[in-house]
Amino acid sequence: MNDSIKKLILNIPSHTEVRTQTITTRRVGVLGGKLINNISARSSGAGARVYKNGVWGFSSIGNTDEDSVREILRSAEENASLLDSRKPKNKGALINAGATEFSEKRKFQNTDQKQLIDFARAIDSYIEKKYPSLVSRSVGITANCIEKELITSEGTFSYQLFPRVYIIVSMSDEAKDGENIELFDILGGGEGYFTDYYSDPSALYPDIDKLYTELQAKKEGIFPDAGEKLCIIDSAISGMVAHEAVGHTVEADLVLSGSVAAVSLGKQVASPLVNITDFAFEAFGKKAPLPVYVDDEGTLCRDAVIIKDGILTGYMNNLESALHFGVQPCGNARAYAFSDEPLIRMRNTAIHPGKDKLEDMIASVDNGYYLTKTQNGQADMTGEFMFGITMGYEIKNGKLGRALRDTTISGVAFNMLKTVDMLSDNVTWDFAGYCGKKQPMPVGMGGPALRCRVNIGGR
Amino acid sequence: MEMEKLKEIALYALDRLKEEGADEAQSSVSEGRTEEFNVDAGEFSLIRSVFSSSISLKAIKDRKKGSTAINSLQKNEIDEAARECVKAAISGTKDEGVCIAEKETNLDFKDGALSCSKEKFFDSIIKFTEDVKREYPQIMLEQLIANYSYGKHVFANSNGVLFSEEDGSYSISVSYSAHDGEKTTSFNYFDIETLDPEADIMELGMTRVMFERAIAELNAEPFYGKFVGTAVLSPMCLTELISVIAGSFCGDIALIEGTSPWKNSLGKKVASDNFTLSVIPNDDRIICGENITAEGYKSENYDIIKDGVLNSFCLTQYGANRTGLKRAASTSGCVEVKAGNESLNEIISKIEKGILVCRFSGGEPASNGDFSGVAKNSFLIENGKISHPLTETMISGNFADMVKKVEGISSETLQDGSCVLPYAAFGGVTVSGGTGA
Repeated sequence: MNDSIKKLILNIPSHTEVRTQTITTRRVGVLGGKLINNISARSSGAGARVYKNGVWGFSSIGNTDEDSVREILRSAEENASLLDSRKPKNKGALINAGATEFSEKRKFQNTDQKQLIDFARAIDSYIEKKYPSLVSRSVGITANCIEKELITSEGTFSYQLFPRVYIIVSMSDEAKDGENIELFDILGGGEGYFTDYYSDPSALYPDIDKLYTELQAKKEGIFPDAGEKLCIIDSAISGMVAHEAVGHTVEADLVLSGSVAAVSLGKQVASPLVNITDFAFEAFGKKAPLPVYVDDEGTLCRDAVIIKDGILTGYMNNLESALHFGVQPCGNARAYAFSDEPLIRMRNTAIHPGKDKLEDMIASVDNGYYLTKTQNGQADMTGEFMFGITMGYEIKNGKLGRALRDTTISGVAFNMLKTVDMLSDNVTWDFAGYCGKKQPMPVGMGGPALRCRVNIGGR
Repeated sequence: MEMEKLKEIALYALDRLKEEGADEAQSSVSEGRTEEFNVDAGEFSLIRSVFSSSISLKAIKDRKKGSTAINSLQKNEIDEAARECVKAAISGTKDEGVCIAEKETNLDFKDGALSCSKEKFFDSIIKFTEDVKREYPQIMLEQLIANYSYGKHVFANSNGVLFSEEDGSYSISVSYSAHDGEKTTSFNYFDIETLDPEADIMELGMTRVMFERAIAELNAEPFYGKFVGTAVLSPMCLTELISVIAGSFCGDIALIEGTSPWKNSLGKKVASDNFTLSVIPNDDRIICGENITAEGYKSENYDIIKDGVLNSFCLTQYGANRTGLKRAASTSGCVEVKAGNESLNEIISKIEKGILVCRFSGGEPASNGDFSGVAKNSFLIENGKISHPLTETMISGNFADMVKKVEGISSETLQDGSCVLPYAAFGGVTVSGGTGA
């Protein structure tokens, strides 16, 4: 954005943001040897949001030139004024997020579509040759990048890049009972560009072999015995507990809508062994999987501590909810596209590791389940959550037994977390997911293996 | 922008794709505007205006396909996108299934509310929020998104297909829960589409029934134990089953991969006699359905299942080419399940032990239809009556088996502008809860 626009925004007395943004997406999908997806997409434009006495006006357009930005600022101001005149809240000014300057050193790096196609075909070819009896196989590569520039009336200027790449491999095979059994996994990838993570397809072959072995075990799998069971939730999926079961209930906008967390602040909601934090850009001494440095209201990001030693200590806020609760925001206001307004969103939400070894945790269960892969999850304001489980094993007398067919686990977060009595000493991050809340949003989630009681679906 | 200008842009893009070397080319151009009102935690929070445009391109070169989409209609950007699209196609792999639509009769469609009555719509949303506070004080509108969407669309391809569409409608999306002191229910939601900016939202769809059920849910109790019984799915919940039928049983991928349990069932019985499922994009009860399929054919109503017999898969032309089967007449998600002759209460009165499921939160069902998940906003049925609302209750079963055990379909239907759906009762569903320990 040019100096004229910057000057214009800095002179607006009420909190105002203008964001210009480009989302670049490349997607390749090979299904049974055929390239069924070969897509590149680019979407760019500008969005403006204006605050007025407790209400907001927003406007966006698919251009970033000065005239377009002036037009959406006018339209956003008009919308804020209309709402303020018809449904006034008469609230005061927002918390001043301060003036932050932040600029990524790296620049947007385009990815070659052919490189993605060739890589996907090489993986597909390996699976076809090594495992010819599979009923179906697919390889999908997604490489996208969100490029954001933000100016706020308080004087924040930020330029951030959010590149992300991952490969999903899926296989299915016929079980003895004639049922088609499926399994998928995310192989490699992370925050960055394709070449940051992938160069030689053969580096992924051991992961593909492991996936095939698991699929064969699942073919012989059983349905769990439905009901409440003692389970080990693997570190690969415990991030879902942090995000779905707990995270959403402590987003301040949902707290204001009456989530269970509204009456739980300062209370013991989990075992004293449980700590949960929404990390901004660093976690456990390393770069977080999807770092966010400045949010889309101009707040400099820092970690939001949610549960400390089992006690609910805080919510995730934007400027408006932080004013309501009398706290400082940690930078959780994020918008997906230029045409979206910032909402309270998670960044990298994780359960802290414990001191136990996974082997000891499994050995401690006489009759239960070890759950290792998930595909989706959902929770609501009561804290009742559900995760789809696509891979797991029964545990009998401390040893892993037969694999499981697809099932679902559920529970009430603040009840289930009180049953956590062992946490493994490692953390696994999931970085490839989108959180859905009016808009999609890339999020990171992580945690250690947990021993706890949950309801499991079955036959 | 005038429709003729959008047509010019679509045809310009086809020329550019052909000049870049495409054997066959397709373009889809859109321009639109959205006016949106947001209510959060029961209070108005935001008015949002979105001005949008986009163009999607598809190129086929030596039976290899590439696709590109951008949101600029500037010529220089279309030139670059066309180059990228053909380059992607050349980099691709040969697939005899790829195609563009054949030319039928080119048509221009106009549907719905073509201008926005922003003030009137705002008034009706204000009235609705005030009605909710007055009539249902325990209901919290967690989020209400009401918008007017207007768009112009042009679809063109190098076979001479040239369709245009202009449409507009008002939609209201509400997520809500009930609260009483520290008691909170699970959220539920509904979406309604209308052409009337002054419509009384409280009287549309099943708004009142859903709010009344939410208030009853404040006294929900956990379920302990396990039984196999009848699940009555609410109209909204029925959409879960329909999406599995349309995708895992009848969709492109399932039939190309051969994973559909119905792959050899065309013309055969797959459901109970009283189960008829139709796709109805051109029905009068549907608001701005689908005029043109995603591939560029004129969209028509069709039956997926008629009187229990599988009448059509839901294949695109690409899926049809890959499987040797017939293309479905529409790619719309606007569906109808034929209503029955009994009321919901009459259906419930015949159920000894079962569950009324008003929202399902579950894992992605397996390709064979196996599912399990949490029965949200749901009620236990015992001895022909609704016994009590439930929490922490799971259901599991198999959708392909369930449609063979239809025990009743209600005469009442939800008509929300995008579907016409009754309540439907299915046998053989496992209901399980905690141990109570």
